[in-house]
Amino acid sequence: MNASFELQRVGLQKWLLFWLLFLFPMLSSSSLFGASGEVQPRITVRVIPDSVLVGDRIRCLITVYHSQKEVAALEGFDRSDSLASHSFELIRRKHSSSFPSSGSGSEEFELELAVFGRGQQPLPPFTVVFRDLQGMVTKRVPYTSSASLFVRVLTDSSMRELRPLKPPLKPSIPSLLMMSVIAGVFGVAGMVLLLLFLLKRTVRNSAERVDSGQVAQRKLRKLGSSLSAGMPPHECYEELSNIMRSFLENHYRISALEAVTQEIERDLKKIGVAGFESIMNLLKQADLVKFADCHPDVEESRQSLKKASEVIRSTRVPKSDG
Amino acid sequence: MQHAVELEELGEQITEASRFIEHAQEQLSQRIIGQHEVIRRIFIAMLVNGHILLEGVPGLAKTLIIRTFASAMNLKFQRIQFTPDMLPADLIGTMIYNPKDMEFYPRKGPVFANVILADEINRSPAKVQSALLEAMQEHQVTIGNQTFPLQEPFMVLATQNPIEHEGTYILPEAQVDRFMMKILVDYPSYDEELEIMLQSATTASKLPVIPVVQLHDISRARALIDRIYVDPRVQRYIVDLVVATRKPGKYGMANLEAMIEYGASPRASIFLLLAAKAHAFLQHRAYITPEDVKVIAYDTLRHRIRPGYEAEADNIKPDDIIRQILQHVQVP
Repeated sequence: MNASFELQRVGLQKWLLFWLLFLFPMLSSSSLFGASGEVQPRITVRVIPDSVLVGDRIRCLITVYHSQKEVAALEGFDRSDSLASHSFELIRRKHSSSFPSSGSGSEEFELELAVFGRGQQPLPPFTVVFRDLQGMVTKRVPYTSSASLFVRVLTDSSMRELRPLKPPLKPSIPSLLMMSVIAGVFGVAGMVLLLLFLLKRTVRNSAERVDSGQVAQRKLRKLGSSLSAGMPPHECYEELSNIMRSFLENHYRISALEAVTQEIERDLKKIGVAGFESIMNLLKQADLVKFADCHPDVEESRQSLKKASEVIRSTRVPKSDG
Repeated sequence: MQHAVELEELGEQITEASRFIEHAQEQLSQRIIGQHEVIRRIFIAMLVNGHILLEGVPGLAKTLIIRTFASAMNLKFQRIQFTPDMLPADLIGTMIYNPKDMEFYPRKGPVFANVILADEINRSPAKVQSALLEAMQEHQVTIGNQTFPLQEPFMVLATQNPIEHEGTYILPEAQVDRFMMKILVDYPSYDEELEIMLQSATTASKLPVIPVVQLHDISRARALIDRIYVDPRVQRYIVDLVVATRKPGKYGMANLEAMIEYGASPRASIFLLLAAKAHAFLQHRAYITPEDVKVIAYDTLRHRIRPGYEAEADNIKPDDIIRQILQHVQVP
């Protein structure tokens, strides 16, 4: 008795397992199909993003599931009047088909829309047209999507940011005009440089014509007059030192005005000038007055001026002879 | 032409008093070939109580010059080789405990001499350098709680090797400033080197250096140097040179503004004047000329000018800056 009951229990369990593993999935999958075995059409709509600024673009993804014996198409987005009334403008559309499982297929429509208007904007209604494989319309399914998006306008007081505006395009300058302007600038610059060069050469030539010896002699004569007029002898020696240095700098092209006596001595030795000893004596005498608290009298100052004049004259003689 | 009577007399006294320098130079020239400018500057520093920082590669007779100088000048010489493990006590001395008397006695260090050769001063740490530099500044040393004056004349000649910086302690600017001059010891000329080679490559013992100077010679020379006349124009020239290292733009050298990070301190003016006086003394003159200032300007200013970043980037050395300053500052 117990054994037959056990056999019945095992048989019931097997029957239940058969129902769970095999028959139930078959029945549940058949619920997608109609009573006649046809696939019921299904439409999904997705909008990205759901909040935009006026004039922005959105992507609208519409997916239509249907039977493999049909093809689907969209109506309603092609008519600009219909879209304009709903503040949308179709920019671009893409269409792709796929057959995910036997007996069923799907169409995906990707629409790029420009959005206008303001506030909450519902997506415009559209119609899905199904055709059989011969191209005959089998059914039309009007569809109003519950998807919507929010459109913000630039003047909206709730706005916190402005859209970056594109800078206005600069008017392009014709390359020919540019070339001529550049050539003109270079031409003017060249002319200025040429003028400067000519001016410098003229000044140098005129400076060379001025005899440094003559200038020094004139200054010495003036200094002698000042001494006679009561100039203190130590000031006379300072001026004499300046005149001699200036003469040496211009005549022998050495840096004498900013040099100390020993530096001048070295430079003159290198050149081998005439009257070297006399020049150095004069400079050293001036140094004694300037730095060693020496007090020359007027007669000594006159003698030094005379000696300086002779030295300058002696340096000029060989030049004029040569 | 009439000299001021005082200056004329002083000039004669200087000529007389500076003879000992010539005798010492004769002794030095028997042992040292070349390096005349280095020797001249050592005499200048000795005459005005200054200290010298010598920089040069090894083998340029730095030690020989100083040793011979000390011998000829009849001065006590000490050579101290600075090392990283040195302590201030190794330099100035320390207190030693005598168990017999049960008391501490000071043992004086090698710094108690007239001429100190601080060889490779940058090899020892800062505390040893400070101990020496304090002795240089104060001319006295404190061991324990006793202060000992250093012997006069007291002169430090420190050496630095410019090509080796590994494991060295660079002297801070404040300490370098205490040296009167920084002398760059250069290689001898070709002929000098030939002579050095022939004279030194022998096993025969060298002629001894005869001490030719007495301490009172130095004291007398120092007293005369203090009386050397400095014209206000030369005084202003010295200050102009030093100020030009701080504000070169004021002297028409705007390009140097960015080249100098720090200019020379007032110590530079003091040492420049002292060194110029000593230079005039060596020339037997009782007055200073701008030449005296120019001649020692490089050695007195080069370690007191810190080149800026731009100068370092352009490889501009303090000597280049000094050259430009000497060219631009108006000579009286």
